[in-house]
Amino acid sequence: MTSAVARDDEATDRELIDQAHAGQRDAQDALARRHRQGAFLLALQMLGNRDDAMDVAQDAMLRFFTTLDSFDREHRVQPWLFTIVRNQVRDLWRRRQRRPGDGLVDGEALAGQLVDHSANPEADLRRQQLRKSVWRAVATLSETKREIIVLRDFHDLSYNDIADVLKIPIGTVMSRLHGARKQLKAKLKEGGRDV
Amino acid sequence: MSEPCGRTFDEALISGYVDGALVQGDAQRVQIHLEDCASCRALVDEITSVRKVTISSAFATPADHEWPAEAPRSTASRTARRLGWPVLAAWAILVAGVGLLEAWRDADDLLERLILVAGVSGLSLLFLSVLLDRLKASKSDRYQEVHK
Ligand SMILES: [Zn+2]
Repeated sequence: MTSAVARDDEATDRELIDQAHAGQRDAQDALARRHRQGAFLLALQMLGNRDDAMDVAQDAMLRFFTTLDSFDREHRVQPWLFTIVRNQVRDLWRRRQRRPGDGLVDGEALAGQLVDHSANPEADLRRQQLRKSVWRAVATLSETKREIIVLRDFHDLSYNDIADVLKIPIGTVMSRLHGARKQLKAKLKEGGRDV
Repeated sequence: MSEPCGRTFDEALISGYVDGALVQGDAQRVQIHLEDCASCRALVDEITSVRKVTISSAFATPADHEWPAEAPRSTASRTARRLGWPVLAAWAILVAGVGLLEAWRDADDLLERLILVAGVSGLSLLFLSVLLDRLKASKSDRYQEVHK
């Protein structure tokens, strides 16, 4: 167990991918442990619902590992996995006969999943209230705007990786992101929240 | 393109500037404009502070035990595992077939041969039904790899 934890921290994704390709199960486990929470969070932010997010994240991890053999080791794991999550989210919407673009997520439910890891939660109450308002506003954005905000301003993906995940030219990333940020700002103003 | 504030570049560059994603020339242009435009400075500040709020957020994540205990197998090991049984079955059928042929040749009369035929067809039917059940089960259980 200790060695597995150490490996989690030390090995790069690429090393783990190589070991996983060679059939090492503990390398696969380390990759799963490293990336599954990100997959879950992206799904949660897109769906607003914990159970759905867990289903999608598990399916995405399954798909990730069953396609591992065709995974190009020059690629990075996170954008690849996020692409899978995004497709699974769309599949779920399709199964529920919901078209991308016509649904919002439950902002209260999403904000309700926020946790406070600060050392002094009471002193940080105002900040946490602010986080709740911002995520409620994020929930009201269209999927296209929400996903780009989430990828950049929560998961901290580079423009390159965002272009990869969203399958858009890199030049489009900046303009779409800026449009989303402006809309989020407007929604916050609407809600009387100036950040 | 000229904006009310006098900016001569696309507003989206403000986001690129915040993200440090601009080529040097663009970054300089934005920088110079920001020095004397309060409204664009305010936009930079707002984008920066909203980003601080979102990126510092933490959500409840599933505990380790809520995830399947093992990472699903990659295709290579699944292929090996899937090939394993058919190869074994083929080997068993071959061995049985050779044995059967021997027994058929050695059989002295019709009765012995009849018993042989009955035994083989009984076993084959049994094998076939098990095979069909397995096929059905593997089709309906798409999570077999996760719950394995
Ligand atoms: Zn300006």
